Amino acid sequence: MLKMNNISKIYQTEMVQTHALQDFSLQVDEGEFIAVTGPSGSGKTTFLNIAGMLEPFSEGEYLLDGIDVGKLNDNQRADVRNQKIGFIFQGFNLIPDLNLYENIEVPLRYRGIKAAERKRRIEQCLEQVGLASRAKHLPQQLSGGQQQRVAIARALAGEPRFLLADEPTGNLDSLMARQVMELLEQINRDGATIVMVTHDPELARRAPRNIQVVDGQLADFTLYQGAQNLKNVAGA
Amino acid sequence: MLLHYFDLSWRSFKRTPLVSSLMVLAIAIGIGVTMTSLSVYHMMASDPIPSKSSQLFSVQLQIMDDGNTWWTKDNLPLQLTYKDATNLYRANTEGKRLSMLRSGFSIYTDSDTVKPFSKSARMTTPEFFDMFQLEFLYGNKWSQQQEENAAPVVVISEELNERLFAGENSVGNIIYLDNESYEVIGVTKNWPLVVKYYDLNNGAFNEPESMFLPFSLVEARELGNWGNTNGWKHEDVRSFKAKLQSEMVWVQFWVQLNNAKQKQDYETFLMAYMEEQQKRGRFNRKELIYSLRDVNQWMEYNNVISEDNKILVALSFMFLAVCLANILGLLLAKFLRRAPEVGVRRALGASKRQIFLQHLVEVAMLGCFGGLIGIVLAQLGLWGVRQSYDYYSSIATMDITMLLSAPIIAITTCILAGLYPAWLVCKTNPAIYLKSQ
Repeated sequence: MLKMNNISKIYQTEMVQTHALQDFSLQVDEGEFIAVTGPSGSGKTTFLNIAGMLEPFSEGEYLLDGIDVGKLNDNQRADVRNQKIGFIFQGFNLIPDLNLYENIEVPLRYRGIKAAERKRRIEQCLEQVGLASRAKHLPQQLSGGQQQRVAIARALAGEPRFLLADEPTGNLDSLMARQVMELLEQINRDGATIVMVTHDPELARRAPRNIQVVDGQLADFTLYQGAQNLKNVAGA
Repeated sequence: MLLHYFDLSWRSFKRTPLVSSLMVLAIAIGIGVTMTSLSVYHMMASDPIPSKSSQLFSVQLQIMDDGNTWWTKDNLPLQLTYKDATNLYRANTEGKRLSMLRSGFSIYTDSDTVKPFSKSARMTTPEFFDMFQLEFLYGNKWSQQQEENAAPVVVISEELNERLFAGENSVGNIIYLDNESYEVIGVTKNWPLVVKYYDLNNGAFNEPESMFLPFSLVEARELGNWGNTNGWKHEDVRSFKAKLQSEMVWVQFWVQLNNAKQKQDYETFLMAYMEEQQKRGRFNRKELIYSLRDVNQWMEYNNVISEDNKILVALSFMFLAVCLANILGLLLAKFLRRAPEVGVRRALGASKRQIFLQHLVEVAMLGCFGGLIGIVLAQLGLWGVRQSYDYYSSIATMDITMLLSAPIIAITTCILAGLYPAWLVCKTNPAIYLKSQ
């Protein structure tokens, strides 16, 4: 699904070169759920931005679902992002002027999906995150947990095969964090590949595979068998 | 998608009503000022008789002896002498032609409800009505025979007919002009003329005359000229008859030449006429010069649109540019404030092109609102011009072309002003804003 070979990202200023990622190589297979951890400033978000094609990389090769991302122009990257990737952000990033229905509709409009199909998908996603009755509410009328569920619904509406989550529970209390995590696990069980950046070791342990980023490099790799077993049981 | 962009633009307008209204107001003021001056310029410059403006020619002859000068740019007098006009009119040439001058009378009728008043009149030959496309409400023009006989007949305008005869068919009625009786033989329909192109000597934007009488009456009744009479050499002119024979210029002469061949033939004729006159002791000069200018050339030659008008239009566009510079600043502030939302949209699959287009639609919508309010302001401006200067009453109006142009100019200029802010916001890096929101 995702294959990065020797990816480097250098931020250049007049005086300093900062290596946000160095020789970063990673392969994520279809259906995996990966937690990315690491100290602040280690390069987790840079990795996520490059994985989501929100930032270009300086060197290396990045293949997403077999597509060589380095060869795409801006419009093509936008298309691939829209078709294949769903984003979940720590700060939810809902558009405040749009109600829940319209927020979820945003990526579908850019994909050119017709109104009837958009409606079907939005209603289905709102149902999935338990907010079907709140479709006409504005984001600020919801709690943080509910807003994050709307953000997840927005990410799901495009039926992406690849979900990128940046601290999805970072702004939530523990109860809401657990609910969101359960939702992500359910989405993963339904077949989506998830890469989640988190600071929370407890949440990270719930992911079948953990990677740690330190100083822009992949530091460690752990497979939590228990979580894997959980997935297998659910899959069976 | 375009409709969706309009919806987003409207929401954006409502989200920041003060800034958006300021921008609309700035556009409206700029467009109002620009359209006021541009409308006046447009009306001045418009072809007053498009169907035949290239077939009607004002005739000028260089009658002055060598060594004399005139104030026109090519040194040619604007009018003809009475005898030249009469000779050219009587000559056996192809194409319609007419002689004319501006005169005037005090008018009264047998009715005791209409008080006497004075009005200017056009003394002309009967071809005037066909050549300048006047239509008749009642009756008709005078015949060639009535022209030759200096018949006391008059054609009046619809407006004068309304005043004298309450709009009734007045053909056959008698009116008194300077105590002489004249029979009304025709009533012309209203003649909406923006530029009085056929007589630019007496105010290009004055109303057309409301009475038309046979030109031959000038000689027969020794009628005075209400237009210009100019001489170029000393002549002992002590009687009307002497004036008719003098080298003073006071008669306007037009010909209608329908094609290039007719024009060429007429030019040959004019040259032959001057050579013949030279043999009689006139036109004492080495080079014989004439000029045939069509309607638009005649208007340009007579500076109907002065340099001042052109400068005024240029200044008004500069004012619009200043307004747009302000709008550009406001747009920059407004759009860049929205960069985080743009970051989210980009992350969700919007291309730079889509973001760019969304913002241009918003700018176009502001331009449209500004243009519509600008039309209202321009109408106020034109009303002010009409109130201040009665002379400009016919040209200080906005025709359909200008009415449609206003929003187009507003939208186009706004889009130009919005290009940079829209480009700037569409190329923002979404990653910066997604984390910081």
